[in-house]
Amino acid sequence: MEEGRSTASAIEADSVSLSQRRSNFIYQFTQQSLPACKPVLSPVWVVSVFFVVGVIFIPVGIGCLHASRSVVEIAYRYDVECIPAPFRGNKLAYIANDFIPKNCTKHLKVPRSMKAPIYVYYQLDNYYQNHRRYVKSRSDRQLLHGLEYPDIGLCTPEDVINGLPVVPCGLVAWSMFNDTFSFFRGVHELNVNRKNIAWKSDRDHKFGKHVFPFNFQNGSLIGGARLDPNIPLSDQEDLIVWMRTSALPSFRKLYGRIEEDLDADDTISVKLLNNYNTYSFSGSKKIVLSTSSWLGGHNNFLGIAYLSIGSSFIFVAFLFLMLHIQNPRSYVDTSNISWNWKHISD
Amino acid sequence: MYERTQSHISLRELDHESHQKIDRPYELLHVLEFSSSRRRMSVIVRNVENQLLLLSKGSDSVMLERLSKNSQDFVAVTMDHVKDALIEAAADEIERDLILLGATAVEDKLQIGVPECIEKLENAGIKIWVITGDKMETAINIGYACSLLREDMEQIVITLDSPEIIELEKKGDKEAVAKASRESVANQIRRGTLLLSSYEGRSVSPALIIDGKSLSFVLSQNLEGSFLHLAVSCASVICCRSTPKQKALVTRLVKKGTGRTTLAIGDGANDVGMLQEADIGVGISGVEGMQAAMSSDFAIAQFRFLERLLLVHGHWCYRRISMMVCYFFYKNIAFGFTLFWFEAYASFSGQPAYNDWYMSCYNVFFTSLPVIALGVFDQDVSPRLCLMNPELYKEGIQDILFSWPRILGWILNGIICSVVVFFFTTSSAVHQAFRGDGRVVDFEVLGVYMYSCVVWTVNCQMAISINYFTWMQHLVIWGSIAFWYAFLLIYGAFPPLFSTTAYQVFVEACGPSPFFWLGTMLVVVSCLLPYLLYRTVQTEFFPMPHDSIQKWQRETSDGRRGKLREKDTLLCK
Repeated sequence: MEEGRSTASAIEADSVSLSQRRSNFIYQFTQQSLPACKPVLSPVWVVSVFFVVGVIFIPVGIGCLHASRSVVEIAYRYDVECIPAPFRGNKLAYIANDFIPKNCTKHLKVPRSMKAPIYVYYQLDNYYQNHRRYVKSRSDRQLLHGLEYPDIGLCTPEDVINGLPVVPCGLVAWSMFNDTFSFFRGVHELNVNRKNIAWKSDRDHKFGKHVFPFNFQNGSLIGGARLDPNIPLSDQEDLIVWMRTSALPSFRKLYGRIEEDLDADDTISVKLLNNYNTYSFSGSKKIVLSTSSWLGGHNNFLGIAYLSIGSSFIFVAFLFLMLHIQNPRSYVDTSNISWNWKHISD
Repeated sequence: MYERTQSHISLRELDHESHQKIDRPYELLHVLEFSSSRRRMSVIVRNVENQLLLLSKGSDSVMLERLSKNSQDFVAVTMDHVKDALIEAAADEIERDLILLGATAVEDKLQIGVPECIEKLENAGIKIWVITGDKMETAINIGYACSLLREDMEQIVITLDSPEIIELEKKGDKEAVAKASRESVANQIRRGTLLLSSYEGRSVSPALIIDGKSLSFVLSQNLEGSFLHLAVSCASVICCRSTPKQKALVTRLVKKGTGRTTLAIGDGANDVGMLQEADIGVGISGVEGMQAAMSSDFAIAQFRFLERLLLVHGHWCYRRISMMVCYFFYKNIAFGFTLFWFEAYASFSGQPAYNDWYMSCYNVFFTSLPVIALGVFDQDVSPRLCLMNPELYKEGIQDILFSWPRILGWILNGIICSVVVFFFTTSSAVHQAFRGDGRVVDFEVLGVYMYSCVVWTVNCQMAISINYFTWMQHLVIWGSIAFWYAFLLIYGAFPPLFSTTAYQVFVEACGPSPFFWLGTMLVVVSCLLPYLLYRTVQTEFFPMPHDSIQKWQRETSDGRRGKLREKDTLLCK
């Protein structure tokens, strides 16, 4: 690039240099000689990379473990406990019989102080909400548009009862969870906030504001909860939470939030209605109260995994360092190269 | 003849009756083309009197055979005219009393760079045969000139120019000649094999030289096996006086007999058969016309460019393709097996773990471009070093990079990755909340979580496997990962009736969750750990030749550690 040109020739020279640069680039591209970085796994590189990763992972692991351990969780399995003694032998008969009262009161002890909000979940095990037939058995269009949308073939057998269509149709809605819980600390009932438990996008865009339950649970087989036909689907948060199918056979779903603090050693009484039938497939039900941290609920796995992986990286880094110090190899030595070829030269 | 069109030939003839020159057109009906086996050419014409005439010309030996019995009268006179003695007598009268002007010599030079090229290719483990139409002395001289033959090499010569055979040929008995020739060739091959066995273990094997006549007996009389056995044990083979057909037949013999890959290089029309017969045909375009180049797989301008074609591009191509195939298996196994492990937790009902569109786009958008970048652009060693170290080429000859242990190793890597991805994601997100607001992991979130881990893992695996990072590799690898998130955003913005389980899953559920990002980082690093360990141990303690070359290249580069700017010259000088 020469200095001191007039503007006209400067523009000309610029366009020339632009085409030169472009053809230079094309030349490099077609001749496969682009400027390149060729990383090589040299010992210094390896040791430093492993060390750096280890050094990053260990504090992250400690942070995650700390977050997980700061969460206080109370889980109580009640499906067997809540069956009165005479019916323990024939659970199915118990659960199917509407005349047997399903009330049950259990006491939970709070191990450490729990700060509001405290999340209340119900946990189901051995319940394959991710089974293909089950997942298919719903109609998203009907959930959004209601009776206007007639084609609900996928919902069989829960699509038409007594000649009339069912809203919401399908097995997923039909099997909705219907145990209820209320919590007491002494005589004072803890207020459980049942609003805002579903995802906002589901409430606003997947369930219609003008769709009402119709002909629901009217058949001979009752699968779960009944729905109030006067509340539109977008406000039926329990249904929305239930309809968001889970990934694994053991899952929790949000029931509500307790907005008060609980102190250590408090005794919480849970008055629940044991309506839901998990006995016919040896499932189990649990009631869970849990606080949350920035990372979520109580699961030490992430923290422990980070710590293990981080420490193994550091261990390997040291191992390599030791081995390299013991056995230094010079790479400028070309005889080293010819040695390596003996084993492929035959 | 004064005019010739496609259909007519016009001759100006002397009419017998009027003794005048008249023009007579002949209608051209058919041409029987010349061929080297027939050695004649004929045309069929119709003259003005509506007679059909066949006019034929060819070499004298061939035409005399075809004369009818009653036209022998001109034969003797014509043969007299063609007789050598008369021609010699005529030439002798003319070529007298000459003035000496000087002396000339013709040096048919080899192209520049041919000896060096051949030496490099021999160092690379490639056996070189010369099949030429020249006579034996010329071929041997060429062999010495391009260092195929060396002073200390013994030469095994198989020829039918011995006195006994020539005697028999003079006698004219074809059967006896054939029998004796076959005997002679078989004997010579046997002698050559005996000589060879006495050379076992010595560094310099002898060279084999065979002429075209012997070659025709070898190829037609079931002597191929012994000939091939002798020939492949020799350092180099020169076939002289070969016809184009023999060139092709020898190539086929080597190809089928040894089962190795053959490459034929030639520059003339007589090499076309050989070029097409070989696995790879390289045509040199230029002096002798374009026919060789047009019938070849690769066309180059000079012989010495073969060096670069094989040692640089051949070497790279082998590496790229074997690496690409192994990687393809790996990435699809890593992806597919996560679906399989998920089925174990969905009671094998066939429910896929991911949204349909994620799965459809996996091989198209999120993991395809890096593979293409690998298969087209990867370079393990710079061109200069490829040319300096021809021994690197042996990696390809011995198929080291695409052996069963390697393929199975990559498949195992894929399975391990899928196991780590699935079990780490499901163990970290069992049923507890994954965000500060108490929400739990559901089917949609787990799908995105696992899929992001898979996409990150296979792309980072690519990043640590390739040896050559230009801006393009950076763009496609990190771009593919970024494109996944962009896709998720765009797809999630579509109405829920279309995007079903992906509706706003990233924006609302996964994106704001630190657990999601920390989990992804953990899974990706854990998946890559086995491969990193393997590679480090292998390069450190059991380096393969190209690893050593790479390290050597890096240590002796200009002081910038970790980067090497290569602006190689285009052709080797």
